[in-house]
Amino acid sequence: MRQDEADGELVLRALGGDEEAFAGLVARHRGRGIRFAMAMLGDASDAEEALQDAFVRAYRGLKGCREPDRFGAWFLRILVNRCRTRGARRRVGAMFVRDEAAMERAAAPRGEDPEWREEIERALARLDPMQREAFLLKHVEGMEYEEMARLTGARIPALKMRVKRACDHLKVLLREVDDVRVP
Amino acid sequence: MSESHDDPLIARVAGELRRPVPLSPDFDARVMAAVRRAPPRLPVRVWAWVREPRTVAVSPLGGLAMAAGVAALVLVGAWGSRPSAISHRPSAVRAAGTAPSVTFVFLAPQASSVALAGDFDGWDAARLPMRREGPGLWTVDVPLAPGRYQYAFVVDGRRFVPDPSAPRASGEDFGTPTSVVTVGGAARVAGGSL
Amino acid sequence: MLAALACALGMPAAVRAQAERLGGRLDEPTRAAVAALVDSARAAGLPATPLVNKALEGASKGADGARITAAVRALAGDLTRARAALGPTASEPELVAGAAALRAGAAPAFLARLRSEYPGAPVVVPLAVMADLVARGVPADTAGRAVLALARAGVRDAELVAFRQSVERDIALGAPAGAAAAVRVNAAERDLGATTPTGSPGAAAQPPRKP
Repeated sequence: MRQDEADGELVLRALGGDEEAFAGLVARHRGRGIRFAMAMLGDASDAEEALQDAFVRAYRGLKGCREPDRFGAWFLRILVNRCRTRGARRRVGAMFVRDEAAMERAAAPRGEDPEWREEIERALARLDPMQREAFLLKHVEGMEYEEMARLTGARIPALKMRVKRACDHLKVLLREVDDVRVP
Repeated sequence: MSESHDDPLIARVAGELRRPVPLSPDFDARVMAAVRRAPPRLPVRVWAWVREPRTVAVSPLGGLAMAAGVAALVLVGAWGSRPSAISHRPSAVRAAGTAPSVTFVFLAPQASSVALAGDFDGWDAARLPMRREGPGLWTVDVPLAPGRYQYAFVVDGRRFVPDPSAPRASGEDFGTPTSVVTVGGAARVAGGSL
Repeated sequence: MLAALACALGMPAAVRAQAERLGGRLDEPTRAAVAALVDSARAAGLPATPLVNKALEGASKGADGARITAAVRALAGDLTRARAALGPTASEPELVAGAAALRAGAAPAFLARLRSEYPGAPVVVPLAVMADLVARGVPADTAGRAVLALARAGVRDAELVAFRQSVERDIALGAPAGAAAAVRVNAAERDLGATTPTGSPGAAAQPPRKP
């Protein structure tokens, strides 16, 4: 796969049976996918399984990608649905279970402040799943509300309300932490 | 836009969540392994054998069997069972010194009769009646010298129907579309003037 | 007259027989008009068989005389232009395929350019593939560029047919026709190691550029 091949070209080649082309799509979109899935599900194993599941479903349903050049948006919709399904099956609070092994393989990046990352994840976990999803799509993925409406099937006013409530809740949860953290 | 968009805390949260998240080193391999195990999509299975090398005689059979096969596979798939591979293979059998024989196939379960009419038989439907083989499949073998021929299937002696999977001739001189088959190879010079 | 004409041209027996029956299947004015067109074409060195076939097609489909005559005249014109572009040694199948390409929108310069890319070899299949791609919705200039690019890369008949089938498959799966052709020809050129940029078949013929 050439680095300058657009998603549209890769999709068409993959439709023709070129597995390497689909591998190229995986490589190109896995980073954004795991970022979203991890933030939605809060668990590395779950997130990777959801992402893998989404790629397999995308492969099987690739002919349904009507705009090959917009594969990314089409794939994200599949991933959003996979995360919804997986999240619904998990027990509430499971996100907070951490053992040593989980810590070892935790996908959370060891950035400058891992504790801050962990607090964010705890706060996200306390959000209503639909609010969490809307917040991630809007503020992390940078989507416009029109695109979010197409992806989720929800109406724009409802999406705006979810985002606002998510932000308000996060501010409450994290401002306490932030206040404590300020030296 | 919500005031939250400009809130510095939200911006910091979003920035943190945009950091790259590591994946297991074998993630790509696991995905591709799962992809290969996934049930094949219908068009890829059907198209795979069409791409295999064949003689230059372009047979509509390949495309037609595939179209019929795709229709059959779609039906099977809709009922939940796993589709089976197509068993037809295009044939361009050539006896020494003769033109290759091109097999035409047409799927018409409701027809009482199907004939082939085209440039190779003076558009006379009586010359090339097709024989019924299998449920709704009509076939006939026609030796064709290199060239490009327009044709259509004549259903029940009156309806001219183009081949659904063959290329169409540009324009419709007489109100109904015709299909095209091309046979490659060398040919004599036209006109007999040399 | 048509039967005698058919015999003189050495047309296949089946077509001769059909030519004989043409008199019975066309009204006299139409038969005379078609015969005149065939005579003119033959005098100009064009093949008569495609013209007779066109008239027989119209007769079989029950078209009126005026429509049959118009179709035969149009085909004679296309064959004339195809001969001018492909040269006097063009075979009957090449002229028929060339006429189809012209009708699909190819410029005569495209036919001439294609001839130069395949010196001494028949161009029936490249011409047919170009026309077939247009019939599937690929814009004429895109189809022509694709065929020329593949010709310059040394692609032969069987691969040209496979290319057309690949494009048709992509279109059937929902890809825009022009994009499908462009993607496939880019892939084919990469596979063959060809890098020469293509020219427009509508422009004046350029000297062939080698990759």
